[in-house]
Amino acid sequence: MAAKYVITLCDGTKCINNGAHRVRAALDEQLRAHGLTDQVRINLSGCLGMCEKGPIMVVNPGYVIYGGLDESDVERIVTEHLVGGKLIGDLEVEQDHLYNRFYRIFGDVGFFGKQMRIALRNCGIINPENIDDYLSLRGYEALGKALTEMSPADIVAEVQRSGLRGRGGAGFPTGLKWKLTAAEKATPKYVICNADEGDPGAFMDRSAIEGDPHTVVEGMALGAYAVGAERGVVYIRAEYPLAIKRITKAIEDARAHGFLGERILGSDFNFDIEIRLGAGAFVCGEETALIHSIEGARGMPRPRPPYPSVQGLFGKPTLINNVETWANIPVIIMDGATWFSTVGTETSKGTKVFALAGKVVNTGLVEVPMGTTLREIIYDIGGGLPGGRKFKAVQTGGPSGGCLPERCLDTPIDYESLAKAGSIMGSGGMIVIDEDSCMVDIARFFLEFTQNESCGKCTPCREGTKRMLEILTRITEGKGRAGDIEKLQRLGETIKKASLCGLGQSAPNPVLSTIENFREEYEEHIEQGKCRAGACKALIRFEILQTCKGCGVCRKVCPVGAITGQAKHLHVIDQDKCVRCGLCFEKCKFDAIVKV
Amino acid sequence: MTTPLELVRKKRTEAVGRIVSKGYLASARVYVGMATCEIAAGSKDVMAVFQKAMDEGLANVYLSQKGCAGRCNLEPTVEVIMTGKNPVKYGKVTPRRAEAIIERHIKNGQVIDEWVID
Repeated sequence: MAAKYVITLCDGTKCINNGAHRVRAALDEQLRAHGLTDQVRINLSGCLGMCEKGPIMVVNPGYVIYGGLDESDVERIVTEHLVGGKLIGDLEVEQDHLYNRFYRIFGDVGFFGKQMRIALRNCGIINPENIDDYLSLRGYEALGKALTEMSPADIVAEVQRSGLRGRGGAGFPTGLKWKLTAAEKATPKYVICNADEGDPGAFMDRSAIEGDPHTVVEGMALGAYAVGAERGVVYIRAEYPLAIKRITKAIEDARAHGFLGERILGSDFNFDIEIRLGAGAFVCGEETALIHSIEGARGMPRPRPPYPSVQGLFGKPTLINNVETWANIPVIIMDGATWFSTVGTETSKGTKVFALAGKVVNTGLVEVPMGTTLREIIYDIGGGLPGGRKFKAVQTGGPSGGCLPERCLDTPIDYESLAKAGSIMGSGGMIVIDEDSCMVDIARFFLEFTQNESCGKCTPCREGTKRMLEILTRITEGKGRAGDIEKLQRLGETIKKASLCGLGQSAPNPVLSTIENFREEYEEHIEQGKCRAGACKALIRFEILQTCKGCGVCRKVCPVGAITGQAKHLHVIDQDKCVRCGLCFEKCKFDAIVKV
Repeated sequence: MTTPLELVRKKRTEAVGRIVSKGYLASARVYVGMATCEIAAGSKDVMAVFQKAMDEGLANVYLSQKGCAGRCNLEPTVEVIMTGKNPVKYGKVTPRRAEAIIERHIKNGQVIDEWVID
């Protein structure tokens, strides 16, 4: 049975001194006594910052905070709240809207119980078009704190100490990037928010900006203060009209309140942000191509070094980070690098947002601590595959990532582990694939995408992906030849090594990882002309069995008129006309149509 | 002299005051999901139902939009927070369901279990 409540116990030093472990023991005992053990999930958290009221317990759904607890209080919480459903007023801690580190969970504890929301902490909580909502949750306080108590060097040091790494995909240490940009002497400097989200099926950045645009604005202001920049640019794709509207309003409201503009909050710091719209080219997510696009040139990458931290926008030092990275910054400044670095794994700190999609019950946007396993995301949060279907693979990292098979499900989410398993973190796409999908076809789909989006500047990417796509297409059409697999591998390795930018360097990944993990499917296509998933249209056909009742449904739904037959007589499919759309197969009420 | 931090805290107090003056302390708070994904699933029509009910006299309710919470397959979502009660989140809310939520939950305090996300 799924958990009905999630209880979070503060495991900070002060709470432990005040008896948090005794509270935990009493809770375990009470839950056992009431037979609630499998209906309540217990999480531990780092210091929640309410030390004077410890030990602290947060009960979700409801985001009820109880404090100053002893063993007898625990008994009351279990009998009155968990069993009786009543809140216990005299134990409640007045929520001072400190950091919303814990998502207010409503009914769906199964979905939110294992999540931890830092970047998305306000998404789905506040009205994104009202700056008052953001301010009431201590919005812009990190900026105020920075301008009052911290020097730019302090901020850079804090971000470095937090261990935050770039959330756009490559995982470069954010603090180091800031340090390099801050060290440059040339002026003016720029900060850029990369909101050019382009992976098919990914919507993390859109949701973050639509749900909480001020976090990004505040993060950018902090970054600008840290590196000494006075101008910022949000580069966002034109096909996100609502996100553009909300970030535009956020910038205007922030300006009106004195969080942007000249002499911010009465200090000597000046900073303002403008918005540039991208036309939707995938390559413009690459930082040097993005910078060219802002400058008005064609969106094409250039070799690095020099890195943008040295020579970026208009040849000046530029700090460029992804939306999710920026959204983490106010939390690091408010709650401190020490706290932030307690979340996650040794090399990957904090949380990561994923867009969970494909063959999974709960599709959606999830944010989990680094180190959470793929299995926990897909089965505990995602609710597994619908209709008891069998798991085949999970695709992470979009068109730059790879497909991981079942044996990799216990891989913890962090930059190194995913790379070791043969995929990448990427910007956060996660697509669950079941037995109905053909791995060759999926590899072809992603390669077709990157091939279309290749800017054409360097030969390996332009020509190499084209050749790979030709080979993959002919395999899915049943015309594969002996040696095709090896040719794909050789081409893929060369493209990865020789391409100019990240697009080409990662484009072969979906192909190489599916060959690595699902080679037998490639071999079946080539040697036997067989697609086990029944997804490659050229390799399947539909046939009507003798059990056909002649109801005529298939004849009516066939879009190309390939089915003939008289009422109450056996119908027939003309295989030359059939386009293998499968509509007849789906619609037949008598299971008289088979896929062979 | 006021420091930037003091200034932000002052602004926060003012912001809370403005939110309260707009009726935040009403006995029911209703949040309708209004991100692109929610709007595509039909949340604008749902919002209109709540707005219309308030225009026509439904009192003591604070209505607000919110961003995407991540429950893509259950959108549009609506949250109802009644004073002293556990918050409730409804999934796949249609205009008809919204009308029922107003009548049964907001006016009579009766949670409609079958639509609650669990």
